[in-house]
Amino acid sequence: MVGVVVVTHGNLGKELIRAAELIKGELKGVIPVTVDAAKGVEELKREMTTAIKKADRNKGVLILTDLFGGTPSNISLSFLKKDKVEVVTGVNLPMLLKVPEVQDSKELSEFADFIAEYGRKNIHIATAVLNRKAED
Amino acid sequence: MKGPLVRIDNRLVHGQILESWVPYLRASRIIVVNDDVAGDLFRETVIRMAVPREIEVVLRGVEDFAEEQARSGSAAEMPGTIILFASIDDLLKAYRLGFRFSSLNVGNVNNNSGERLAVGNIFLSDKEINDLTTLVRHGVKISIQSVPRDRPEHFVEAVEEVMKTAIKKEKDRK
Repeated sequence: MVGVVVVTHGNLGKELIRAAELIKGELKGVIPVTVDAAKGVEELKREMTTAIKKADRNKGVLILTDLFGGTPSNISLSFLKKDKVEVVTGVNLPMLLKVPEVQDSKELSEFADFIAEYGRKNIHIATAVLNRKAED
Repeated sequence: MKGPLVRIDNRLVHGQILESWVPYLRASRIIVVNDDVAGDLFRETVIRMAVPREIEVVLRGVEDFAEEQARSGSAAEMPGTIILFASIDDLLKAYRLGFRFSSLNVGNVNNNSGERLAVGNIFLSDKEINDLTTLVRHGVKISIQSVPRDRPEHFVEAVEEVMKTAIKKEKDRK
């Protein structure tokens, strides 16, 4: 099973996990890390190391972060390691909901591709969806 | 703002810079002054990828930057530029090597541990307070402000507040 660490500005990650668990039930091997102004970079790196260790089941860890270029993403990128740790930015609820369905069956890099693509695909404009439905 | 935004931020380029300061200042250039980043191809690439394409990114070591600045004269000639230092230490070093500026923005200062004093909404060591005070004596206006929407706190007033509280505590003890 690929482990997942959700690193975000404030409690966003914790709350995303909580929201996903309302829908899916308990998520296994999914750990949040909260980045706020009070924490220094070194402290955050220590927290990340602990979270990655906790999430790791020997199949690698996917880090999901909120904003490319933000501190959570900047720190996550320093943990990138081929076949061990991958980083995907722009985390959203659909991505987290998909995690339990595929984390057992996919290798880390394939898992990362899948989750990133799934998150992208699940942004819709209502009017466009309705028009498409009307055409069908 | 006529001159550049000179800022202490131990996170360097991050969300507050890209999403708040850049649009607020309509910045066209970001200079990152840091010895660890300059020359680290991976960190340089990450910063360049994060910054919107129309904004120029310059990465320099502290000494190189300060020497360039000392040669070229006044930083007042750099409107629309954000100059980022990770620590007060680095900024002081650049200052001693000839980098001159009239105002300083203190954002995130969280890099050292040890005993720290709450000044406004940030925490500073004695040395950092002394270093900033040195800059004030040389005519630099210092404000503590994370993002443009926050009310800036005047550094000198914030330090005075800390001292007043400390003196009052001391008196109460006696």
